[in-house]
Amino acid sequence: MVRLDRIGKRYGRGPWVLRDVTLTVEPGEVVVVTGGNGSGKSTLLRIAAGLSRPTSGRVERPSSVGYVPERFPPGVRLSARDYLRHLAAVRGVPARWDLVEALGFVGGPDAPMATLSKGNTQKIALAQALAADGLLVLDEPWSGLDAAAGAVLAELVVTGGAAVLLTDHHGHDLTGARELPLGAVRSGVVIELDRVGELFDEVSSLEGVVVARAVGGGARVEVESGFSDLVLAEALRLGCSVRSVRS
Amino acid sequence: MTALVRYLLADVLRTQRYLPPLLVFAAVLAMFNAGDAGPPPSAYAGSCAFLYPVATWLTIVIATAEDPVRRAVTVTTAGWGRTQAAVTVLSCAAVTVVALFAALVPVLTQSRPYPPATVALGLASLVVCGLTGVGVGVLCARPVITRPGWSVLAATALVVLAFLFGRTPPIGNLLGALGHETGLAGDLAVSGVCAVVLLVGATLAARTLGPRRN
Repeated sequence: MVRLDRIGKRYGRGPWVLRDVTLTVEPGEVVVVTGGNGSGKSTLLRIAAGLSRPTSGRVERPSSVGYVPERFPPGVRLSARDYLRHLAAVRGVPARWDLVEALGFVGGPDAPMATLSKGNTQKIALAQALAADGLLVLDEPWSGLDAAAGAVLAELVVTGGAAVLLTDHHGHDLTGARELPLGAVRSGVVIELDRVGELFDEVSSLEGVVVARAVGGGARVEVESGFSDLVLAEALRLGCSVRSVRS
Repeated sequence: MTALVRYLLADVLRTQRYLPPLLVFAAVLAMFNAGDAGPPPSAYAGSCAFLYPVATWLTIVIATAEDPVRRAVTVTTAGWGRTQAAVTVLSCAAVTVVALFAALVPVLTQSRPYPPATVALGLASLVVCGLTGVGVGVLCARPVITRPGWSVLAATALVVLAFLFGRTPPIGNLLGALGHETGLAGDLAVSGVCAVVLLVGATLAARTLGPRRN
């Protein structure tokens, strides 16, 4: 079991990347960490894996941890078979080439990993991590995998018996997985207006406007998604000019 | 630990980044021994002085052979403590082999007699200077110093510093004793203790700072 208790992380005196995150993952349970770019997903995973020390809070984790980084480096000169053999020896378990074959590895097992495709390198990275039986920390594990390998990985993750903490931007269907959302989820519309001038107060007080900021003679307005048409119509009626609309 | 050291060794051997420090050291050693290197044990002073920066260079190569992402995978598998200890152990082993080579070269190339006791003192001096270099290398490599530019600057500064303060342990007193052929055993003991303290301290510092820097 892995337990994160009121975890916080900041680098130096910079802003807090994570604050008061509490999470328990039981053996056999899968937790998918979700959130936008910069919400602290990878940082949380690195703390759970023991790579990074939290600024505040406590972490309990099992001794056997497997980690797959978001981007496994491409220039490894060791062969795939040697790399797996060495890491299995470090872990004190037999090398599991069967996992590599189950994921549909194609290429020379004795050729340098630098010559493998991204997908096949990812399969080796996954196989070394799946040898852990306590906690699996997988940062975008489906990256570079084809559909067949992706399905096998989903099966291995769900049935493995280890506690699993992962991120997944592609929304794979994992039976029984729990979500942990991180960071504020924004679903509004950003409207950039010109020729606002003295109308700024009027525009910023329109119904549905969350944040309004004057920019030169214009304004940048964040609007709740259901009110964007209304705000646009009112802004045009007032004589403002619409520069851009982004959702 | 043995499996981890074997893995790091296999990885370092494939990078070939270990070649420049070894080739430079071999070239300088050949230069020292091309003519008359002088009477032993002072003939070892030059190679001792040069092994110190070479050991630092070699240690930085070993510590940074894996890129940071792959090191993260290794650290997750083995833990920060074991990984840093393995880097230190492998560096010490590599430097000891180089020291052994440097101790035997004058025996094979010089016309003067090299009694076994003198060769043993020379080897011990080389090992102590090499281990000091390993300690400095660990302090100047990832995860203690993460930027390559700062790493080079810090290593250069620490190496030069050791030569600026005369007969100060662990390097200056040893080179002085070798040059003047007096009190070598006592200086070896003092420098040996200093080198071991530096090695252990540097390894602990790397082990402590690793998770903070990530």
